[in-house]
Amino acid sequence: MLMYRRQITKIIIFMSATLASALSWSIVNIGEDLELEGYVKAYNIIKNGASLFHDGELTHQRNTAQLEGKYYFLRDGELFNRFSAGPIDEATFTFLGRAVYDAAYDIRDSYDVLNDRGKEEYKIREAFVDIVMAPFSLRLGRQQVVWGETDNFRALDVINPLDRTWHGTRESWEDIRIPLWMARGIWDIGKIATFDETFLEIILIPDDFQANKVATKYPRPWAFRGIGLQDEDANSVLIGNTLHDLNVTVIDGAPDERKFSNMQGGFRFKGIWNDIDFSINYFHGFSQTTGVKVRSAGLDNLGAFNTVVETVNPRINVFGVTASFSEDRYTQSVFRLESTITSGVPVAIAPGAPHRANPNGNSFDTARQSVVMVGVDRPTWIPALNSLRTFFISTQFFWRRYLDYNNYYRGSFYDVRPAVVNGSTVPDHFVSVNEDKIDQDEFVITFSASTSYGAAGLWKPLFVFAYDPRSTGAYNKIKMEYLYSKHLVFAAEQHLYWRVSGSDQGPWGLGSYLGESGIRRNETVFTATYQF
Amino acid sequence: MKKHILSRLKRFTKISAALAATMFLWTPALLQANEDQSYQGLRDWINNSRPGTQSAVPGQHFSEKDRESILEALIPQAAWKYYFFDDMDMEIAATRQYGVPDDWGKKMSRDYKLDESGTLIDFTGGGFPFKEINADDPYAGQKVIWNMLWRPGSNDYDMPMVTWLRSEDGKLDRVMEYTSTNATYARGDHSLVPGYEDVKSKQIMEFRSPRDMAGAKDMSIRYVDHHRENSGWLYMPAQRKPRRTLASERTGELMGMDMIREDSMGFGGKIFENNWTYLGKRKVLATINVKTNPEFGGPSQWVPHKARWEVRDTHVVLVKPKSDDHPYSARIIFVDAETYWTHWMFAFDKKDDQLLRMNQHFLKYSDDYDKEPPQQASYIKQDFSKSVGHHVFLHLGQVDINAKKPHATMTHCFTNKKEFTAARAKQFYSLRSMISGRR
Repeated sequence: MLMYRRQITKIIIFMSATLASALSWSIVNIGEDLELEGYVKAYNIIKNGASLFHDGELTHQRNTAQLEGKYYFLRDGELFNRFSAGPIDEATFTFLGRAVYDAAYDIRDSYDVLNDRGKEEYKIREAFVDIVMAPFSLRLGRQQVVWGETDNFRALDVINPLDRTWHGTRESWEDIRIPLWMARGIWDIGKIATFDETFLEIILIPDDFQANKVATKYPRPWAFRGIGLQDEDANSVLIGNTLHDLNVTVIDGAPDERKFSNMQGGFRFKGIWNDIDFSINYFHGFSQTTGVKVRSAGLDNLGAFNTVVETVNPRINVFGVTASFSEDRYTQSVFRLESTITSGVPVAIAPGAPHRANPNGNSFDTARQSVVMVGVDRPTWIPALNSLRTFFISTQFFWRRYLDYNNYYRGSFYDVRPAVVNGSTVPDHFVSVNEDKIDQDEFVITFSASTSYGAAGLWKPLFVFAYDPRSTGAYNKIKMEYLYSKHLVFAAEQHLYWRVSGSDQGPWGLGSYLGESGIRRNETVFTATYQF
Repeated sequence: MKKHILSRLKRFTKISAALAATMFLWTPALLQANEDQSYQGLRDWINNSRPGTQSAVPGQHFSEKDRESILEALIPQAAWKYYFFDDMDMEIAATRQYGVPDDWGKKMSRDYKLDESGTLIDFTGGGFPFKEINADDPYAGQKVIWNMLWRPGSNDYDMPMVTWLRSEDGKLDRVMEYTSTNATYARGDHSLVPGYEDVKSKQIMEFRSPRDMAGAKDMSIRYVDHHRENSGWLYMPAQRKPRRTLASERTGELMGMDMIREDSMGFGGKIFENNWTYLGKRKVLATINVKTNPEFGGPSQWVPHKARWEVRDTHVVLVKPKSDDHPYSARIIFVDAETYWTHWMFAFDKKDDQLLRMNQHFLKYSDDYDKEPPQQASYIKQDFSKSVGHHVFLHLGQVDINAKKPHATMTHCFTNKKEFTAARAKQFYSLRSMISGRR
């Protein structure tokens, strides 16, 4: 009975959004002060085999209903159209709620072991009040704040963590950022000396820390399980030629949000100097990438290897600058630049590292990291391919460097492998190995091109390419979106992972290992969206 | 008898066949003459076709039957294909003289000039830069366009808009709702915001629907120095941050609409990127002071129907892009000789000199808003009485047709005059406004 009720509730949630939208031809207005919009989306992902379209397997049938609303409760200095609001010019309340149901969990028997983790989500993702009192404005509530000029890589865009559980970082980051409760105040300064359009922005996150979310449990299709066996967990340790059972105790060492000293915050000063947009940014927060400190490790009397590890999110300090410049005469391009220095980045230290590389003996360290991103955007005519509209071409070169590097730094790729003793595989015993050696310098290049076709531009292709020149790992996305009507949008896309040579995994999640059996993230995606 | 009938039948068949063949041979030529959309065709029309003695009389309603006798001389030839249709209805109003704002021309800087490319130097607004247009002046074409670019009413409004994109068969492909808000900074002897004397105007445009575009927001700044490129930023909700845009790209179609940025109000580009010829004055029909936002008619539902038109004197300007890569071989613009608002624009394909794009504009005099207000947008109610007394024209919409696709974009603007205080303008038209949006 309860199950039926839940099913009915789900149907009502999804249908109500659809019915509401059918009454209007765009945003739904309720009175003059409340606006509603949103969408219902059916998202179907089929993972392919190593070769395209081979051995397809449905991994997601994810249905999302999103409702967004804005309530204008203070306009032109009048609260609720009645009361004078003094110096406050305008105020609005915005909310964004999302309901998700992934039918693949009910379709696939193999997902039963997941106990519905990842099957549903019902959340008010964002809810904030905007108050404008010139020259000040304030946004209070659960929100996203995005800094920086980089697309889809983390440098200054580190204020909100990411939910990578269901589709890695392959979705629009607007949908996978985890909104946080915070205050964002802006003082619009304007002209100062030779600077134009300047403003100072201060953000304060009093008590809401969340780490990036990553799925680890098999068979979630985007579980983060390294490149070894996907369906087994390590249960053994090989010391010398002896195999020991492994017992791991994990202590959650995430920062206590209630402590005043654990507040996060930062500022941005932005303006224009000689036609160059620039910003200076500082953020004092916690690493959203979780590190692991080994508290203790050793054999007990029964010969089992017991280890106690603590997950930690160290303090980070991010200092960054950005710039963008539109060069109209010679290159007809917009140049983007972003550079950061971050302290407190967690790294693992390889087992067996000498004392100088692992002075605390806990296989954990924090590093300073710098990032330089140079990007170019260019609307480009390719008349042979499109005589009506330009292609928007955007390319980025992203360079990350560990400033206080040591050779024993290891990344997060742990491989689970069958335990092998004296050349023989031991049944039902698996060991974990980290061979993900971090390079001091890491590079990635991205390229994207988009345009539109058809008399009304309703066909919108997108091509994305990312390439790591060191590991030679690459990724392509080819997408075609069709705006069938004002309400209905269809999309088909293909994700492909490949490499030029070698077997290095690289740090970016690129390369053919992601397409090979076991992981298989070459995906074909079909989406139908009803928007209003 | 039977033989006689058979002979007459044969004769009838022969004559019918001959007539049919003649019709078959002549019809394309007739059609071609009627639908000539070539550059040369429009030049010939400008030079040769003149309204006759039987001209438009106020209060008359014209239909398709008045086409040859009256309308062909008053509607530019390249537009005939769209503007003449079976149940067409054009109401004719008396040609009026319209007033200008009280302080128009009284607070202008006098120290301005044209450089050798015809670019206006050191002009800061407050009036028309050129009071007289002399046909013999080699810079007459540029001067007409400078007057158009600095005309009263070109900024300082709230403009909610609805745009319909339609195929030739009348199928509605897309509807968009968006709002443009715009302020003149350069006001002759002062700037709206002290310290921003280099800025001509600022504009923020935000999309409201469809949902895949809702919340997208664009801010652009035009500068007093025409040689300085405009600045632009785009906020996309999916990115939650602004992005600098390249303002100098003005020749690609925008968001599926049948216009390019350079087509804005007939000409929205850079003067020095073109060669200019003044083609003289010409009377045309114009929707200069429509009762309200006009309905659309014709077989494709592309053009104003049952609208009020006026016979207007226009300056005709020929613009030829200097760049070999430009899609147009030529552009011909009809600019009102009194108000300097653009009525018609025709742009010809570089490949074959045939019509590629055209636009035609619907205007309303602000002081008539009290008697005949424009429509209210479906998504916002405005107090149109704010517009009365400003003595300016406000843009109520336009038609943009791409003749080659063929496809059209029709827009209704629900424009209301808006005056910003310096403090509010500084706050509203700032980069700070571009770092967040609807979501």
